Amino acid sequence: MKKTALILAAAAAVFGAAQARAEVVKFGIIAPFSGPFAVWGKQFKDSIDAYQKLNGKMVNGHEIQVIWRDEGAGDASKSRQFAEELILREKVQMLGGFTLTPDALAVAEVITESKMPTIILNAATAIITRKSPYFLRVSMTLPQIIKPLGEWAAKNGIKTAYTLASDYAPGHDAEDAFVKNFEKGGGKMLGKDRIPLSVTDFAPYMERVLQSKAEALFVFAPAGAPSIAMVREFDRRGLKAAGIKLLAGGEVQQIFLPSFGDSVIGTISSVHYTESNQRPENIAFRKALVDQAGPDTVPDMASIAGWDGMNLVYETVRALGPRFTGDQAIAFMKSKTYESPRGPIKFDPVERDIIQNVYIRRVEKKDGILINQDFTTVEGARDPWKDDNPNAK
Amino acid sequence: MRAVTILLDGVAYGMILFIISVGLTVTMGLMRVVNLAHGAFAMLGGYVATALTLKGVPFLVSCLLAGAAAGAAGALAEVTVFRPLYRKAELQHVLLTIGLCFIAIAALTLFAGSTPLPAIVPDWLDRMVDIGYRSYPLYRLFLIGVGAVMALGVWLIMERTLFGAKLRAAVDDAQMARAVGINVSRLFFLTFTGGCALAGFGAAVGAGIMPLEPFYALRYLVYFLIVVAVGGMGSFRGSLAAALLIGVVGTAGRYIVPQFGGFLLYLLVFGLLLWRPNGLLPPKSAA
Amino acid sequence: MSAIPQSKSDEPSALWHALPWLLALAFFFLADGYHSLGVNILIMILFTLSLDLALGYAGIITLGHAAFFGFGAYAAGLFNLHVSADPLLGLAAATLAAAALGLVTGALILHTRGETLLMLTLAIAAILHEAANHMRDLTGGDDGLAGIRPGAVFGLFRFDLWGKTSFLYCLGVLFVWFLISWRVVRSPFGRSLDGVRQNAKRMRAIGTPVWLRLVAMYALSAAMAGTAGALSAQTTRLVGLSVFELLTSGIVAVMLVLGGERRLYGAFVGATIYVLVQDVAGAINPFYWMFVIGILLVAIVLFFDGGLMGVIETARRKLRRGGAPGAAP
Repeated sequence: MKKTALILAAAAAVFGAAQARAEVVKFGIIAPFSGPFAVWGKQFKDSIDAYQKLNGKMVNGHEIQVIWRDEGAGDASKSRQFAEELILREKVQMLGGFTLTPDALAVAEVITESKMPTIILNAATAIITRKSPYFLRVSMTLPQIIKPLGEWAAKNGIKTAYTLASDYAPGHDAEDAFVKNFEKGGGKMLGKDRIPLSVTDFAPYMERVLQSKAEALFVFAPAGAPSIAMVREFDRRGLKAAGIKLLAGGEVQQIFLPSFGDSVIGTISSVHYTESNQRPENIAFRKALVDQAGPDTVPDMASIAGWDGMNLVYETVRALGPRFTGDQAIAFMKSKTYESPRGPIKFDPVERDIIQNVYIRRVEKKDGILINQDFTTVEGARDPWKDDNPNAK
Repeated sequence: MRAVTILLDGVAYGMILFIISVGLTVTMGLMRVVNLAHGAFAMLGGYVATALTLKGVPFLVSCLLAGAAAGAAGALAEVTVFRPLYRKAELQHVLLTIGLCFIAIAALTLFAGSTPLPAIVPDWLDRMVDIGYRSYPLYRLFLIGVGAVMALGVWLIMERTLFGAKLRAAVDDAQMARAVGINVSRLFFLTFTGGCALAGFGAAVGAGIMPLEPFYALRYLVYFLIVVAVGGMGSFRGSLAAALLIGVVGTAGRYIVPQFGGFLLYLLVFGLLLWRPNGLLPPKSAA
Repeated sequence: MSAIPQSKSDEPSALWHALPWLLALAFFFLADGYHSLGVNILIMILFTLSLDLALGYAGIITLGHAAFFGFGAYAAGLFNLHVSADPLLGLAAATLAAAALGLVTGALILHTRGETLLMLTLAIAAILHEAANHMRDLTGGDDGLAGIRPGAVFGLFRFDLWGKTSFLYCLGVLFVWFLISWRVVRSPFGRSLDGVRQNAKRMRAIGTPVWLRLVAMYALSAAMAGTAGALSAQTTRLVGLSVFELLTSGIVAVMLVLGGERRLYGAFVGATIYVLVQDVAGAINPFYWMFVIGILLVAIVLFFDGGLMGVIETARRKLRRGGAPGAAP
């Protein structure tokens, strides 16, 4: 790092009053644009392009340039390679992206050594931010958004429940969060099935739920084809007709609702962003997105993370100028409090994890469009895993 | 009664697998082409059906048109890229067809985005009906019916027509068939086209269970290949048996031991193939 | 057409043999900031080379070579976490583990051929994928196996952050494996496999223990793939479940054919071109590098038998004949 410092010093000497000159601040984003998770990259890009279209590319005369890298199908070695290239060759001043947990974990060492402020736009396993002091997360953790749902279910007259979760780490985290808080509230679990990721037909699982006569079913599956097939099977199999309430997380984001029939109406979910909320920030956000990516564009968790991540980059450059150290940037960002389209957000200064509202919503039909309508807000939700595991590294 | 439900679920799932895979088994048996792009042709059909249905074309008509579109794409591909391939080694087949998959995925992402497509199964079909002891999804019964009709149709063609007789002869021994004056390359062309058409139709009809998205071409490919390998390459009866077996055993397995479904399926395939390397019901040539 | 040079004059000169290694060294000194890219390329070359032994030379059709790459990667990672941080010991352990897996599975499946074999190899990788996902306590499941910290190579050369040590380390390992491969394919054993590939029945008739030789070659190839996986684990410091995916097996086959099978150097060309195309096309437009690779594949299979290496060889021969007309017979 001595070399970089020397170069910086030399550059400063050559340019003299460097502060006054226009500079380019580069923000490198590593995300999947191809393979099974391609939709994440696309949603990040749309919202970040929309942000730049609305706010311009200049901050106080300095250009913010975004550099994209496609890490394909969740390949950790690619993620690490790109981080190195972006830092050494492209001289980015901030990194961001990361859809899956291994992609984020793979760069922890690199960003720690190079003191590179890194904004996680999705990767949701709780422990990630403890792996480097330069990680800051603007997405969520699963316990954070699922805990309120478990509590809500227990409090609102649901006595028995069943969980169906994909059998992989995020599925286990979601299941744990729901079960723990539902039981703590006095609820009784009738079954907890974990579904192999290779499964595409969910009929036998729904049949088990139906037989169990549980009052509610909590589901968790990777967003996209698996989660859609799962919710469809719930609809089709008459679980709703049998009076079973469907509880979910990101499975029924508005972007996926056209994939289901009207029978999805009434599904309860809890996430950190309600697409249809009427905050002025959200209306502006959605308009910017439509201007950028077309009239049918619907934001999701990825878009809101991209938008807020980009906002943090702009705010940092606005406050610190075009040159800053990683420590300065992280210190600045984690102290930031502002009104996001999702609601007020701030950061846990120790864990560098986002603190935000979690909304309990119900799928409804308004003006012929299926939307999520929030009806309960849990304010300032933290990541409960960190509180439960203060010393885990 | 619970067993009946599991059986119905399993058969319905098996039928989609059968409709999509039967074309693959015949082409792989007849032409000895390892066609990893089969899922891409199916996906193409599904996309066409979705586009048409959203434009207001009735569901069943769109499914048939989807079959036609996938068939046309298959015909084009057979003439342009597959024909030069028949003389090459298996590895070349794998590579070329992976290439076609990549192209199809990129192209559909370009035209239709990377999000999964909206549901197209109409309301009249997507509801519950009373089947005596319980109410049951009509859509699944519909799939069983369609699968049965398709199986019967393919069987009639294979067993009761001159075309079918020639086809069986060519699967058993292409050289001999050629020697007795059968135009094998025309057979290739027709079966390939037909197989792709069935796949496109199957993907459209089965979209309610297997959601369409650009990665469809690779996501479900393993299942199609398993049906072909377990059933026996080139064996129409074998692929029906394998599809139903995977459907029913898979469904029952998941119902009884929910977590071990993934293991079960692959262990089953592994064991079956070690036990009968040529599949359950191989055609004569391989026996 | 056999890839084995027909006559002495067709043997590439020493300069040709030195070229890839010289290029790699030049890369090391010139490409600051791209060493991780270089490391990934070297690992993929080794992985592709391993497939060339099994698929190219022995004709074992497989779509499950990721099983060995992944097994080696997890073995190296677990060895590092629970046994010893020494990278070379880890490499050896992972290589042996993958070889054992290759031996056992090869013995089970290598009496089958064609598409059946293809499906069996695919099923093995899928079973390992499910197993690694399931044993979350051991493997980290979908979160990945983290915390791998290899010690210094020979106790002297520490792994630096930017992949310089990693690059030379991988290059050295690749060189060793290349020499082994070179000897093996030119040995009587290697040449007998040439016969097996072309006509197994005849070889069996003249008394060659076909099955045994196939299993031996498969295990060797598995060992090499395991080394590649171990290098990946040690240099990335993380192993993700995707190492076992069908796509991983598919991509390495793509690299092999792209470069040209049964040429050893084909692996060098194929893996390098694939990774570079993915990188360059991905940087220009991250959405559609799949399109470029797809077109490239179709074109290679249809128009350039023997892959890019085949093209290079033809060009080289033409060049030589054109450049020195007197030398022509």
